[in-house]
Amino acid sequence: MKKLARQIIEKNRLVIVLFTLITLFLGFFLRDLKINPDILSYFPKNDPDVQLFNYLGEEYGGNSLAMIVLENEEIFTTETFALIDELTTRLQLEPGVAYVTSLTNTLDIKTDEYGFEIGRLVDTANLPRDPEALAILKEYTLGKEMYRNNLVTEDATATLIICRLQTNSDQVATCRRLQEIVAEVAPAMKIYYGGIPFMILDLHNMITDDLKILIPMVSLVIIFFLYLGFRKWEGVFLPLLAVAISLIWTLGVMSLLKIPLSIISNVIPVVLFAVGNAYTIHVLSRFNEARIARTNDGLATALYEVTTPVSLAGITTIAGFISFIFGSYLVMIQEFGIFAALGVLFTLFISLTLIPALLALKREEPGRKDKAQRKTENTGITGRIIPGIEKLVTKRPKTIVWVGIFLAILALTGIPRISRRINLIEYFQPQAGIRQAEAILEEKFGGSGIIQVLAEGDIQDPAVLREMEKMEEFLLAQDGVNNSQSIVNLLKELNHAMGEGKVLPDTKEKVMNLWFLLEGEEVMTQLVNAGRTEAVIQARVAGSLEAERTHELVTAINEYIAGVDPELVKFSQTGMPVIYRNLDRSILRSQFQSLIFAVFLVFIIMLFLLGSLAGGLLGLIPILFTLALIFGFMGYAGIPLDIATVLVASVTIGIGIDYSIHFLSRYRQELAEARAQNLPLETAVRATLNTTGRAILINVFTVAFGFLVLIFSQLLPIQRFGVLVFVTMLASGFSAIILLPAVLLSSGARFHLRPVACRKAGIKKVK
Amino acid sequence: MKKPLFYFGLLLILPGLLFPAAAAGALTAGEIMERVDQTVSAPRDQEMHVKLVITDAKGNESHREMVMMQKGSDRRMVKFTAPPEQRGIAFLSLPGGMTYLYLPAYRQTRRIASHVRNQKFAGTDFTYEDMEARKYSADWEAKLLAEEDGLYRLELTPKEGTVSDYGRLIVEVKAGIFFPVKIEFFDKANRPRKVMVQDKLEQINGYWIAREAEMRDLQAGTSSKMFFTEVKFDSGLADEIFTERYLAR
Repeated sequence: MKKLARQIIEKNRLVIVLFTLITLFLGFFLRDLKINPDILSYFPKNDPDVQLFNYLGEEYGGNSLAMIVLENEEIFTTETFALIDELTTRLQLEPGVAYVTSLTNTLDIKTDEYGFEIGRLVDTANLPRDPEALAILKEYTLGKEMYRNNLVTEDATATLIICRLQTNSDQVATCRRLQEIVAEVAPAMKIYYGGIPFMILDLHNMITDDLKILIPMVSLVIIFFLYLGFRKWEGVFLPLLAVAISLIWTLGVMSLLKIPLSIISNVIPVVLFAVGNAYTIHVLSRFNEARIARTNDGLATALYEVTTPVSLAGITTIAGFISFIFGSYLVMIQEFGIFAALGVLFTLFISLTLIPALLALKREEPGRKDKAQRKTENTGITGRIIPGIEKLVTKRPKTIVWVGIFLAILALTGIPRISRRINLIEYFQPQAGIRQAEAILEEKFGGSGIIQVLAEGDIQDPAVLREMEKMEEFLLAQDGVNNSQSIVNLLKELNHAMGEGKVLPDTKEKVMNLWFLLEGEEVMTQLVNAGRTEAVIQARVAGSLEAERTHELVTAINEYIAGVDPELVKFSQTGMPVIYRNLDRSILRSQFQSLIFAVFLVFIIMLFLLGSLAGGLLGLIPILFTLALIFGFMGYAGIPLDIATVLVASVTIGIGIDYSIHFLSRYRQELAEARAQNLPLETAVRATLNTTGRAILINVFTVAFGFLVLIFSQLLPIQRFGVLVFVTMLASGFSAIILLPAVLLSSGARFHLRPVACRKAGIKKVK
Repeated sequence: MKKPLFYFGLLLILPGLLFPAAAAGALTAGEIMERVDQTVSAPRDQEMHVKLVITDAKGNESHREMVMMQKGSDRRMVKFTAPPEQRGIAFLSLPGGMTYLYLPAYRQTRRIASHVRNQKFAGTDFTYEDMEARKYSADWEAKLLAEEDGLYRLELTPKEGTVSDYGRLIVEVKAGIFFPVKIEFFDKANRPRKVMVQDKLEQINGYWIAREAEMRDLQAGTSSKMFFTEVKFDSGLADEIFTERYLAR
């Protein structure tokens, strides 16, 4: 290790050239970095529910419904129908669109006393023109359940065009083109775009905007705090450089591996800026210490000495991110864990190689400048806060402990109040256009979500069809489920046309005869397979279903399925409620798993670092207190658990543990000193607060405010994530410098820590 | 319902020319289409077996067989003979746009409406309009684009007042026998929609017929192919075949 450190210092120019080349190489791939906002694509491929969902999507023409609502004073005019027809034809031709369903192309079965007709609602080549014909069309259309509040509202002021998008296509690009076509064909109409594909398009745009806004903002925040802390441009520039390079590397590697940015990994830049600057700062402080000789030897020693503590801080943070790889349901959370960890690793590596190499270029003595700087530091923000803390901690340690316990208990009572948010629509701000579109879709057309039940059996068997009919009736009886579609309704209409009433045919022969009439109709490929051994019942479901209601719905359908004779027909359900239910479960599970992992990790590291059980337990105190606060804050402030806030606990533990580590390491050294001079425990606490305590405070502010930048994200989960990390960084920082010393002071000998002499001459004392 | 007697319409443009082609003279586009129309409506009656292969966008094939009979240009009967589950299903088309459907499982005949021209027939890529015994020379404006390799290449656009789902057709007519061998259909926005090819031309009883006809839907990726066998012309089909009563037999 020491040799390596020497190599870095001696061959510093080579190191710099090498890093420049790597950065240029990886930076070259940055332009290929893609964004994939489609959260459905991050569901694990081995989940049977996801498999069924994807299977139905591929076999039955897409399960992503891009929904376009046209509003007009009156839908039943020749002009509007011409427009719907034009849109239907053009949208259908777009690559990536599997099917379009609209008033002008939906299959319609008309029956009258003379006979019947299988066709469309209107003859598009010969649209009705006179008011009387339009009035008849309107009455007919609104009289049919399959159209009313499904494709056109009861009051005939809005109509829906549904585009089913192909499962494995670039849905973002397709949605963009759909919008272009609609804008071109119907420029004067009031249009709403809803459904998951359009949400994903909006997410894509927001991620792009977020990256453009958040990176400069977090840079400014970090610059501000670093300058405040160091009053020296070197202290601002070098940490930012290390982070910027590691960001280029991380994103470059993602691009090379063809892994796109998701709505979660989108925050990696902010995470790196907030977290990564600390490593360079440590290296910088060490190199600037007056005792360090400006020789290769002196610099190599400084680097060697600083490597262990900096690495340890980095490793805990990496471990916090790595905890997401295990037990995360969403692949994008695993990806976030991996690449955030990789980013931190890169920052750590750069801070210990490139940064020392750059520092080795400068050989003049830092001299007195360093001391002058420390003086300004003492009068800076930390200079005002630390003495107050010192007084508080030494005068009333017991009170602090009791207040801490009280706060923790109070916070724990907030846990039952924590809600969960799993719906994609909840990612958008209330004023977002898509929310309005979704509200309209839900209010007027029964929602944009999709619920699917696959029936396996002899689909032409009337007994099977009757089970499907009952299943459909059951679905429609559920709160929030609307507008079902299956082969059953078409067969009933045709049976009616043959004079036997609107019921299912009573023999298989009749079913097969009617089937003949339907074959080749496009809608059939969305309803049954070619072998007639499978059929799909599809219904729409409100997009804003609450987590609890989603669970109830999925359970109710499963219970119903369990009561059906599997010999006759085997039902299985999938669709948004099941997917959301799985997501919800997984969020709770990964919260639990990553928490256990992180707490365990803290304990092990503290045990290892401090060499005693007491040390391990002590280290847990600030973390457990912070965890209680996080969840209490979430409960009382109404911040729900979602795909981003679920990350907070582990992230904060990974970062926040550093404060306890730094504090306790320093405390043991000061304790040895105090013992040697026969001074009380208090002296060691004061000394620790004035040295490491101040460094912790600067870092807390930098990281906390760095993350707070996320409130400017357009995505609600990311905003909440930012606020939550902000609060918890403050909590873990202050608990390390207030609660922890208070516990040490009030417990006296109970938490006995072995004092450690300053093994390394490098630890500098500040009076 | 829009499932009329589609296949008959197709037949009407299939049979060959009764009379040898007039001595080659410079024919106008309109004259060429008139000759095509004559070719199509030449036989007094016709009867044939048709094998139908329908291929969906995923490549799944389904097969059907039927017997088609036609008298004059406006009386047609189609009876499905295979697969077994469709045996006995029959369509009857009579003058005045009257079409009847018989479903054997119901033992019922129903009149079906057939005014919407752009509907697919019984799962094929042929629409009503494609099947109609229409007089091209009367309804379409023809323009001769080229004459080479024994083929006339014509562009047809609907005359004013002609109702069509198509905006333009490109028709290739075999010179000499005035038999259309290929029709490209364009939609109203001038995008290629479908293409029909008639192949294996043969002369039976003095009439020309294509033994195979294929329609491909370029937008949907589906196709339908018909194979004609046991073709008989002018065999004196009885009038009673073209009655509702005969549908159920």
